[in-house]
Amino acid sequence: MFKYVLGRLGAMLLTLFLVMTLSFWVIRLMPMTIFENPEVSPEVQRRLEDRMHLHEPMIVQYYYFIEGIVTRGDFGTSVKIRPGLAVFDIIRERIPPTMLLNFFSLFISIPLGIIAGTIAALRRNTWADNVISFLIVIFISVPSFVFASLLQYVFAFAVPLFPTLYNAQAPTVWAAFHSMVLPIVALSLNPIATIARYLRGELIETLSSEYMLLARTKGLTQKEATWRHAFRNSLVPIANTIIPLITGIMGGSLVIEKIFAVPGEGGLLVDSILGGDHFLTVALLIFYSFISLVTIFVVDVSYGIIDPRIRIGGGK
Amino acid sequence: MIVERDRLPEELQSIPAEEFRRSERDWQTDERFTTEPIGFYKDALRRLFSNKVSVVSLAAIVIIIVLALIVPNVTGYGYTEQNVKQKNLPSKVPGLCRLGILDGTRVLTNIKKTSISDPKRYPEGCVLEVIREYKAGKQTVVDVKVDYYKYCGVPEGEYHWMGTDYLGRDILTRLFKGTRISLMIAFLSVVTNLIIGVVYGSVAGYYGGRVDLFLTHLAEVLDGLPYIVVTILFMLWLGSGMLSIVLALTVTGWIGTARLTRAQFYRYKGREYVLAARTLGVPDKKLIFRHILPNTVGPLITRAMIAVPGAIFSESFLAYIGLGIKPPEPSIGILLSEGQKVLLQYPNQTFFPAVLISVLMIAFNMLSNGLRDAMDPSRRGED
Repeated sequence: MFKYVLGRLGAMLLTLFLVMTLSFWVIRLMPMTIFENPEVSPEVQRRLEDRMHLHEPMIVQYYYFIEGIVTRGDFGTSVKIRPGLAVFDIIRERIPPTMLLNFFSLFISIPLGIIAGTIAALRRNTWADNVISFLIVIFISVPSFVFASLLQYVFAFAVPLFPTLYNAQAPTVWAAFHSMVLPIVALSLNPIATIARYLRGELIETLSSEYMLLARTKGLTQKEATWRHAFRNSLVPIANTIIPLITGIMGGSLVIEKIFAVPGEGGLLVDSILGGDHFLTVALLIFYSFISLVTIFVVDVSYGIIDPRIRIGGGK
Repeated sequence: MIVERDRLPEELQSIPAEEFRRSERDWQTDERFTTEPIGFYKDALRRLFSNKVSVVSLAAIVIIIVLALIVPNVTGYGYTEQNVKQKNLPSKVPGLCRLGILDGTRVLTNIKKTSISDPKRYPEGCVLEVIREYKAGKQTVVDVKVDYYKYCGVPEGEYHWMGTDYLGRDILTRLFKGTRISLMIAFLSVVTNLIIGVVYGSVAGYYGGRVDLFLTHLAEVLDGLPYIVVTILFMLWLGSGMLSIVLALTVTGWIGTARLTRAQFYRYKGREYVLAARTLGVPDKKLIFRHILPNTVGPLITRAMIAVPGAIFSESFLAYIGLGIKPPEPSIGILLSEGQKVLLQYPNQTFFPAVLISVLMIAFNMLSNGLRDAMDPSRRGED
């Protein structure tokens, strides 16, 4: 197991390095000016460019880039979105709103998804199952940004129950939370449906398995058997959908954050691409890759922990 | 069994020949099949069409495709045709406008009362109704319901069914032109994914061993890169445009197909019939494409069908973050993201694309669910 984890970690670092290299070359080789500010005199601009090594050959710049990250954790300096500020600090400062939103979203989507999936599976082919299955299809199919627009129009404009946009400088905690409701709902619909769909499928399969029959034969009531055997076993595959939700808590949704003007990571990535702030884009892409790689790693390793039947590495 | 005559008992030997008779064998014949034989695909198709949801979804998709092909040519407006005087028009549909819905009216608020009577700003007959009148400072201000088409000087008899956008372009034309482009992107990317995935997976699965190890590892490294990051990098590298979107969706999209194909090859390549074919000297190429690959067609079709809504979604997503196709060209995603900017003022600009993409996504998802059930061999003959 230890060897396996070590191997995965190595692969992860390699991939991360690959992402760094790819992002750097792709973005820096684009035919665009990296640094451009009409208010700065040419002399100052030249000095600034010198400081960022922009006049050196690309390969030397690449070396500086990697060296900065590895030795000092320095991802460069923002040039357009927040000129002069270290990219790393900008990213760090955007984490709290994103994390808060995703945390609340997680907080409601996991229980709701599990409850909906369980009800649908236990009451299979009744009206309850039909309604839930229908909603699952809607929530999975319709893009989240369509829901975001719909929520924004209906609940913030037509019936002004909530503020239109996220309010970071809200005076009270309640007001801040109030402005977070719509983005949270928009973020949660898809995870709820995904969890519910997986759980429903899993539960239906386990409910008709032979060990359930055995559990009933040895005297457990249907309820006990469902809870102790079927439900627990169905949760194993669900981990596959829940873990990305947990690790993705810092990533945030690009489009939903943009729509509700959340000052988070997703919106920042969109802004940096649109604004052509290359150092920021590179750093954010690395940030997102890091999150995604950690997720894959945790999912892989957790399989062995959650489900004792899957112990990779020959059951050592 | 032939028994020698003289070894039979005495009384049997003397039976006269005429006593012998041919025994009537009770011939058991199989009943001839009177029904038509049903193959796998025929059966799958039959089951697909017996599923109401699938039929409705298929119908919805076909209708949308037909509309996408026809509508942009018959509206009478070009999809890039601008008219700055007629921007942000509300929707007006012939027939329905008599009933008072989608009749091209809009409520304007906070207007000086005196300006209403100015025919230069408010042409004759465009003010339908004064809804509210109130004082703001010294001015009398009114909210009025106006015939926005007359207000903007649109000639009588011209209709924009879904209104116009911020440049005065007809949204109906743009929406279906955009649907055409979005669907094209989706189909193209799915087809490229299939081709690359099938070839890659076939080679890895058929040859196995070192080739397989190398190819699988290569795919794994690519798969480790997060989808958003790869797509964004690709779009930045190639620049916006239809081809780059298709390519960006292909970079990681083929891996799933390759994996599926490879697994199917491992399942079938050891079968006796493959061995037989190989013994007869069938070349590798023919073995792969003629004898093994057809087994994977079912799962591949299902997979391709599931990938279509995913591609439509990705296209819209890219448009939202500013990496969509090049501006005057429309796509569903472009229309949605443009509409989102004026959502609160002109909801019609978001409403129609939103409905269309939702119907399209639901229909494709339902159809692929139906297809999956229909092609599931374990469910064959259930109904």
